[in-house]
Amino acid sequence: MNLDLALDTYVAESRELLEQMEEALLAFAKGDCDADRVNAVFRAAHTIKGSAGLFGLDAIVEFTHGVESVLDRVRDGLVIMDPVLANLLLECSDCMRQLVDAAGAGDTGAVVEEAPALRQRLSVYLGEARETSCAGARAQPPARVAGSAGDWHISLRFGRDVLRNGMDPVSFLRYLATVGDIVSIATLADALPSVEEMDPESCYLGFEIQLCTAADKQTIEDVFEFVRDDCQIRILPPSSKAADYVDLITALPEADTRLGEILVSSGALTQAELEAALASQSDCDQLADVPGAQEATATNRRLGEILVSQEVVREPVVQAALDKQKQGREAKGQEARFIRLDAEKLDRLINQVGELVIAGAGIGLAAKRVGATEMLEAASTLESLVESVRDSALQLRMVPIGATFNRFQRVVHDVAQELGKDIGLVINGAETELDKTMVDRIGDPLMHLVRNAMDHGIEQTDVRIAAGKSAKGMLSLNAFHESGSIVIEVSDDGGGLRRDRILAKAVERGLVAPDADLPDREVFDLIFEPGFSTAAKVSNLSGRGVGMDVVKRSVGDLRGTVEVDSVEGRGTTIRIRLPLTLAIIDGFLVAVGKSVFVVPLDIVEECLELTPEARAETSGRDFLNLRGQALPFIELNQLFDIAGPRSPRENILVVRSAGRRVGLVVDQLIGEAQTVIKPLGAWFQTVKGIGGSTIMSDGRVALILDVPGLLEHVHRPASRREVLKSAA
Amino acid sequence: MAKTILVVDDSASLRQVVGMALKGAGYDVVEGCDGKDALTKLDGRKLHLIISDVNMPNMDGISFVKAVKQLPNYKFTPIIMLTTESQESKKLEGQAAGAKAWVVKPFKPEQMLSAVSKLCLP
Amino acid sequence: MVVTTDMTIYTVAELKPQLLAAINGSDEPRIELSQVAEIDSAGVQLLYLARREAAVAGRKLRISGCTPTVQEILTLVGFPLDEEAAA
Repeated sequence: MNLDLALDTYVAESRELLEQMEEALLAFAKGDCDADRVNAVFRAAHTIKGSAGLFGLDAIVEFTHGVESVLDRVRDGLVIMDPVLANLLLECSDCMRQLVDAAGAGDTGAVVEEAPALRQRLSVYLGEARETSCAGARAQPPARVAGSAGDWHISLRFGRDVLRNGMDPVSFLRYLATVGDIVSIATLADALPSVEEMDPESCYLGFEIQLCTAADKQTIEDVFEFVRDDCQIRILPPSSKAADYVDLITALPEADTRLGEILVSSGALTQAELEAALASQSDCDQLADVPGAQEATATNRRLGEILVSQEVVREPVVQAALDKQKQGREAKGQEARFIRLDAEKLDRLINQVGELVIAGAGIGLAAKRVGATEMLEAASTLESLVESVRDSALQLRMVPIGATFNRFQRVVHDVAQELGKDIGLVINGAETELDKTMVDRIGDPLMHLVRNAMDHGIEQTDVRIAAGKSAKGMLSLNAFHESGSIVIEVSDDGGGLRRDRILAKAVERGLVAPDADLPDREVFDLIFEPGFSTAAKVSNLSGRGVGMDVVKRSVGDLRGTVEVDSVEGRGTTIRIRLPLTLAIIDGFLVAVGKSVFVVPLDIVEECLELTPEARAETSGRDFLNLRGQALPFIELNQLFDIAGPRSPRENILVVRSAGRRVGLVVDQLIGEAQTVIKPLGAWFQTVKGIGGSTIMSDGRVALILDVPGLLEHVHRPASRREVLKSAA
Repeated sequence: MAKTILVVDDSASLRQVVGMALKGAGYDVVEGCDGKDALTKLDGRKLHLIISDVNMPNMDGISFVKAVKQLPNYKFTPIIMLTTESQESKKLEGQAAGAKAWVVKPFKPEQMLSAVSKLCLP
Repeated sequence: MVVTTDMTIYTVAELKPQLLAAINGSDEPRIELSQVAEIDSAGVQLLYLARREAAVAGRKLRISGCTPTVQEILTLVGFPLDEEAAA
């Protein structure tokens, strides 16, 4: 088929549609939005995508799919067409035009640079109804693995309405003959009612078919795809057992002997097989109540396993049920899909699962002590089950951050107007999930960071242009998972932090010694000090000096950390790192004297023995030589004033936090354990370096180390520590 | 006598490609550019199958199907709806109106041919 | 009886009483299909009904004059045909 001519039509048609689309979108950008225009834009995208598929222009299909989906949600009133969205869609239509032009020039594999970013930005409008990507693969029917040919048996009983619906059973049979060889067909007209009752436009027909084909079951089923709801379909694969046919016979409405005859005459069964199968079936039925008939019942069940035939029936039924459900769901909106539930109930469940984890570990420990192998096995099975229950329970609390991010579209739009700046927002990783509690509590700190970035980070347009930057400032929100944490970034392409100004301010406030030589990161960290603001002028939005320290505290409350990357003139990224959940961690247990501590496993890098030689080498410094690199270390017994004899053999646990590595000197390494975090009582909350407590399976209490807090406490730069001390 | 198929879609290029594929397979093809235009083609000629898009200007596919179901000479003609995966509700709406078969857009000409042949081989 | 139209869903309502009358009106009912260009399941089903009614009345229904198109379909579904069925 020569598609060149049609392709020209396509290109011309798409350009015209894109023009119409642009016109309507420009009206939307001015706030002039009506349903007809939205429909027209949707139709344009729909047509461009639909026809692109015919030409195999997958890049256009895939990109336009996102546009179409968003527009569909606008039509359904789920998304509001505001100027921000209109502008985004305008950019999208530019991208589509480039793709169409490329296709017209014969370049079907063209790549438009902006496409991935645009797609990301579109995806935030898709909310819960996140589209499955519509790659070109969608348009490709799944490859059928052809097995060797065999005789399938197919039973069809058509519903009364198929003919009126335009579905002609004979057509399906003719098509079936292209899938394989029809060995035999028996047409069952048994359901034809009396002459008076028979409505010639209703269908009363059934068919028993032997089909010889190498195609698989799916292929055969697909022949009847369009009558799935209107037809009973049973498919027996080649070499089905006689008993399967017996089940088929009993399941079908016609008399058993009649169907038996048909099957025998079609060659599906021999007379002897049929008789034997029917007989053994009835034998088992009789035996069932006789004592000692268990074995016979087992045979019966094996015979009675309806196997594929039942599955085949079930599939359309399930499909129908699903379709119905979906229908209902669409009618009622999203509500029906979700259960609203008191968060307290969920917390209770998670608490109980936590206790279960501990109890399970206790059993494992006891089994190990007794040395009962069987019990150990049972315990480990239990443990893995409990673990998956735990994961599912925690999963219940996980929600994508997209909804939270999404709110910022509007914020950015409004604030940008207020500030008279032109600022765009890019969202990445909207699908990243984190604990509901955290989603609720991260909103405020994020709001502060976003406003701050727009107010102080991104420069006024004239400044930007003078600096050779694009007039439009960009703000981006990113979320992703990284080694057991979720990372949320707020980045801007603004002026960056002014190191000199921060330092000057810090010196002025006595936070830093005037001659201190601090690395960038520590300078930037100063912005989190209470009351620290370098804003030259105070605006309405932020910069009143409260803020960054509050952000840091809020994040700290969630056991998270905040760090800053900034390049002067290029922009700033604030990175928040949060644990995935607040409830349970995988911990590594270590002992110091008689005390046991838990270190979150995901930050443990390695364990080493601290040999006396290595210790001697440190000669009083607080770092040691680890394969040629200096590794600072902390002695937990000193830190927590743990008395008692020193262990003759010490160990070092190397942990990494916020990009820094540090060794923890402990007496004994105990091993991994799941740890349910119990919050600390009020008096302990001021203790630095401890994040919580847990009850171990033997009933003792272990303290959970808050390593980031610990590092901050211990590794404060000397200059700063000095200043703080003198200030105190 | 070759069987006749009416193809209704507002995209000229789609009608062109589908038309080429169908003619290549031995069908006669009649085209309509939207529901309203397609109804004028239902002038008494014999039709074996209708392929209709859902989203069209002037008269959309659902209204078109409903109209076809009112015409004595065409009410039993099988109809293939061109749906998109994002519009499950449209597919159900189409089915309720009487279009029991569907092909999901975007599709390849071969996919359209396979759906057509299930309902009527040339 | 000579069927002069297609035997499809569009015509069966009209054909049903005609066929039944033909069966009841003759000791050797015959249906002549040479003018039938198209037959679908509705037509096939009507032939099954006619055949059953003839049998109930103790008569044998003869089908004759099948065009290749009609014969292909009747053969596909296994409708019993005599040698004379073909055109």
